[in-house]
Amino acid sequence: MAAVFNLNHHASYVHWHFFQLSVSNLVVIVLMVIVFWAAILIKFPSHGPGGKS
Amino acid sequence: MSISEHEGPALEHEPRSWSGALRDWAVRTLPPEKALPDKQPSYVASWIYVFGVLSLSSLAVIILSGTILALKGPGWWHFTGIGRFFNSVHLWSVELFFFVMVIHLWGKYFMAAWRGGRKAVWITGAITFLVAIPCALTGYVSQQNFDAQWISTQAKDAMNAAGIGSFFNLLNFGQMYSYHILVLPAAVVAIVIGHILLVRKHGVVPPFKLPATTAAAGGDGAGPDAEVSAS
Repeated sequence: MAAVFNLNHHASYVHWHFFQLSVSNLVVIVLMVIVFWAAILIKFPSHGPGGKS
Repeated sequence: MSISEHEGPALEHEPRSWSGALRDWAVRTLPPEKALPDKQPSYVASWIYVFGVLSLSSLAVIILSGTILALKGPGWWHFTGIGRFFNSVHLWSVELFFFVMVIHLWGKYFMAAWRGGRKAVWITGAITFLVAIPCALTGYVSQQNFDAQWISTQAKDAMNAAGIGSFFNLLNFGQMYSYHILVLPAAVVAIVIGHILLVRKHGVVPPFKLPATTAAAGGDGAGPDAEVSAS
């Protein structure tokens, strides 16, 4: 990861009133929300009504 | 009268050993066809139902990589290439474990997975999540590097502020390492086993029933009681 991203600096934070969150944590949370909705919306591959795998 | 005629129902009234009684209770509580089913209801064919088993898979990688790290020690995981590799596998499997477990938790929350007598399933899942957090924290403070020193001093202050700092010392490597590789993982694995057995006993929670008009417009014709192959 360090080869892809330059990690040699202080972490970036999002501030909103009393609320403080690192950008890296925010990225992970956004990714979780995206994967959650994808899991609901994307059709699961079906084996048909016979249920044969 | 042959010997075989003595076997069978008549013997059930005789005094039983504790092992026989325990076996009867286990089979009665969780019959083999429920413990290892080969069919699942049709509604399980959805990606949102995959995150439970992804959590289990991540946990297996965590335990396996952690066992190797524990056998080899800090010098190996810090100063050799293969050691750093297993250190990374352990870290990223934990990251993945929490990632998929949170999505599993969200999915079950919005399904109200405690319905139909499944409150123990929900509670054991939630407790697993809560116990996994200090399990990961003690891992961070067991790294044996400056990162571990920073996290342990910050976490120490947090524990003291919460009033529970007298029960354990986050600056004590030996104590934190014992928590991390024995006490807390054993608790997580034990609760997860209980969680899985409860899921097998009660079955996967069904989705909410759709209003008749919606079901008629978008239904696939397969009711929630239809079954598909589990494999």
